[in-house]
Amino acid sequence: MNIILIGVNHKTAPLDLRERLSISCEEAAHPLREIMKIPKMNGVIYLSTCNRVEVIAQTTDVPETAERLQDFILQHGNLSREEMLRCLYIYGDQEAVRHLFRVTSSLDSLVMGEPQILGQVKDAYRQAVENGTTGIILNKIMHYAFRVAKRVRTETEIAVNAVSVSYAAVELAKKIFGGLQGKNVLLIGAGEMSELAARHLINHGADQILIANRTYGRAQQMAEEFHGRAVTLDRIEDSLRDVDIVISSTGAPGYVITAGMVAAALRRRKNRLLFLIDIAVPRDIDPAAGEIDNVFLYNIDHLQDIVDGNVRGRMQEAQKAEMIINEEVAKFTQWHNTLAVVPTIVSLKEKAEEIVRGELDKSSAWMQNLTAEDRNNIEILAGSIINKILHDPIISLKEESQDYAAIPYVAALRRLFRLEP
Amino acid sequence: MDLLFFKWALAAYLISTLGYTASLLVRRVLIAKASTWVLFTAFSLHTAFFLAQMIVSGGLSINNVHETLSFFAWSLCGIYLILQLKTKTRVLGAFISPVAFLLMIGASTGMEGSVSVPEVLKGGLVTLHVTLSVAGEALFALASCAGAMYLIQNRLIKHKSIGSFSRLLPSLKDLDNINHICLLWGVPLLTLGVLVGSIWARTVWGSHWQWDPKQIWTLAAWLLYALLLHQRLAIGWKGHRVALFSLLAFLILLAGFFLEKAFFTTVHNFL
Repeated sequence: MNIILIGVNHKTAPLDLRERLSISCEEAAHPLREIMKIPKMNGVIYLSTCNRVEVIAQTTDVPETAERLQDFILQHGNLSREEMLRCLYIYGDQEAVRHLFRVTSSLDSLVMGEPQILGQVKDAYRQAVENGTTGIILNKIMHYAFRVAKRVRTETEIAVNAVSVSYAAVELAKKIFGGLQGKNVLLIGAGEMSELAARHLINHGADQILIANRTYGRAQQMAEEFHGRAVTLDRIEDSLRDVDIVISSTGAPGYVITAGMVAAALRRRKNRLLFLIDIAVPRDIDPAAGEIDNVFLYNIDHLQDIVDGNVRGRMQEAQKAEMIINEEVAKFTQWHNTLAVVPTIVSLKEKAEEIVRGELDKSSAWMQNLTAEDRNNIEILAGSIINKILHDPIISLKEESQDYAAIPYVAALRRLFRLEP
Repeated sequence: MDLLFFKWALAAYLISTLGYTASLLVRRVLIAKASTWVLFTAFSLHTAFFLAQMIVSGGLSINNVHETLSFFAWSLCGIYLILQLKTKTRVLGAFISPVAFLLMIGASTGMEGSVSVPEVLKGGLVTLHVTLSVAGEALFALASCAGAMYLIQNRLIKHKSIGSFSRLLPSLKDLDNINHICLLWGVPLLTLGVLVGSIWARTVWGSHWQWDPKQIWTLAAWLLYALLLHQRLAIGWKGHRVALFSLLAFLILLAGFFLEKAFFTTVHNFL
C-alpha cells in the first residue's frame, strides 16, 4: 500500500510537547504544502487536535518518506531525537489504516466515544482535498474511515451513556422528567462542579436557574452569568416549591435541606416530582428526604457509580468496535489488492479489443458484400468470443490478488500476452 | 374473508408481543420500535376485520363475550398507538401487546357461536353501551399498564440501579402523563357507558337498577376511579401513589369480573 502514518497523541506525548508541535506546524508554513515537498510523495493528510498530531501519507518510497516525516516532526516539535523516539509512533500499511480507523471512530480518544474527533478528521480531510493533496488511495481510505465511524456509532453503544458526573445528572433528570424544557433549577453554593452541571442542564433546555449562596454577591454574580435569579439562603425553603431540580454543593457542616423541608415543599407543590442532587461533602441534604414519594435524591457517590458503570460499558462496546474495524481493514485491503492487478486487466482487455478491431478492418473488403445487419452481427460475435475467453483469467487474477500471490500471475500474464511492461 | 383478517391480526399481535419481549431481554429500543410497527399492522388488520364484518352483516355487532374481548383488544391498541405518538413511551407496548394478544386468544376460542345477548336485549343502545364501557375500561387497562411500568422505573431510580433496563423504560413524567390522560377520558366514557346501559335496562327490564352483582361491582369500580380522578385533579395526587392505585383499581375490576363468572348468577351473564 505504501502508506505511512506518523504521529503523537495524548498517550505517548505530554501536553506541552503536543502544543509546541501543533503550534509550530501551523505557524511555520502550511503543513500540507511543506510535507508535499518531500520527494516521491503521492498524497498526505494532516490532522491536528489538542490530543494528537497525525500525518498520514501515501508515497512511492516508504523508508525515505518515513525518514523525512520524522525530520518534519523533529524540526517543528523542537525535540531531541531521543525524546522523539519515545513519543512518536509510526505505522505502515494495514496498521496505519487500522490506526486511522480507530482514531476516526473515537476508540483512541481520551474520552472513548466522544463525538468531536469525527468532525476534526473530516475537517482535516477537507483541507487536504482543497489543497489537492489526496490521491485515489487516500480518498478511499478516508471514505472507509468515515463509514467505520458511522458503523461503530450505530452498531455499538460506545457513545450512548454519560461518562461524566454532570452528564449523568442530566440523563437522570431526563429519565425522571422526560425532557428538561420548562424545568427550573436551584443551585445552592457556587462550585465548579455545580456550575458545570447547571450549564449542562441549561444546554438541554432547563428554564430558569435560581442561585443561593452564603455570600449574596457571589450568587448575584453567578445569576448574571446564567441569566438566572439570586436568592438568599433563607429563601431556599420557599424556592423548593417552584423548582424541579436542586443541585447543592455548599461547604456547610450540617444539612442545608432537611427531610421536613422537602416533605412540606412537596405538599405545597402538589406532589410534582423533585430531583435532588447533593454533590457536597459533607452532605447538604438529609438522606431521609430520598425516602419521600416523588422525591429522588442522588449524592456524589451515586452519580460516580453510574459513571463508573458506564465507563465499563464503553470498554465492552469498544471490543465490538474493534471487530468492526478488523472487518473494514480487511475489506480495504481487499480493495487495495485488487488495485494491483487492475492495470494488467486493463491492458489485457485493450490488447484483445485491438486485435478484434484489426481483424475486422482486414476483413472489411469481403464484408462489403454482406448486409449491414450481418456485418454488425459479426462484430458482436467477435466481441463476445473475446469476452468469454478473457472472463476466466480476469476473475482468477482478481481472486489471486487477495492472498498476495498475484505478482507471479501478473508477470506470467504480461509475458505470455506480451503486454507492455 | 373477515375471519382471515382476524387470524392475521392475531398472528401480528403474537409477533409484536414476541418482539417487545425480545426488546426487553436484549435491551434494545430498536426492536421495540420495529414491534410498534408490527403492533400498528395488527391494529390495522383488526380494523379491517371489523370493517369486513360490518359490510357482511350490515352493522357493528358486539353481542357476546368473544366479540367484546376482541373489541377491547382493538380499543386498547388504538388508544395506546395514539398516545405513543404524543409521549415517548415505546417500550410500554411490551405491557400492552401481550394483554391484547391474550384478549384476542380469548376472543378466538369462540368466533363461531357462543353465549349471546338474549334477543330481548338486542337493540340500538346495546352497541353504544358496550362500546363506551369497553373504551373506558381499555383506558383503565392502559392506565394500569403505565402504572405498573411507573412502579418499576420509580423503584429502579430510587434504588440507584440505573442500568440498561432503566434506560429502556420510558421516563416517569411520560408514564404519569399517560395515567392522567387515561383517567381523564376513561371516567367520563365509563360513566356514559353505565348511564346508557341503565337507560336500556329500564326499557327492557323495567327498572334502571337490579341489585345485580355485576352492577354493584361495576358501580364500586366506577366510584374508585372517580375518586382517583378527583384526587388527581383536585388534591394533586401525582406519580407514585396514582400509579399504585391505578394498578390496584384495575386488579379489583378484573377480580370482580372473574369472581362473578365463578360464584354468582347475574342477569348480565352474557358478559
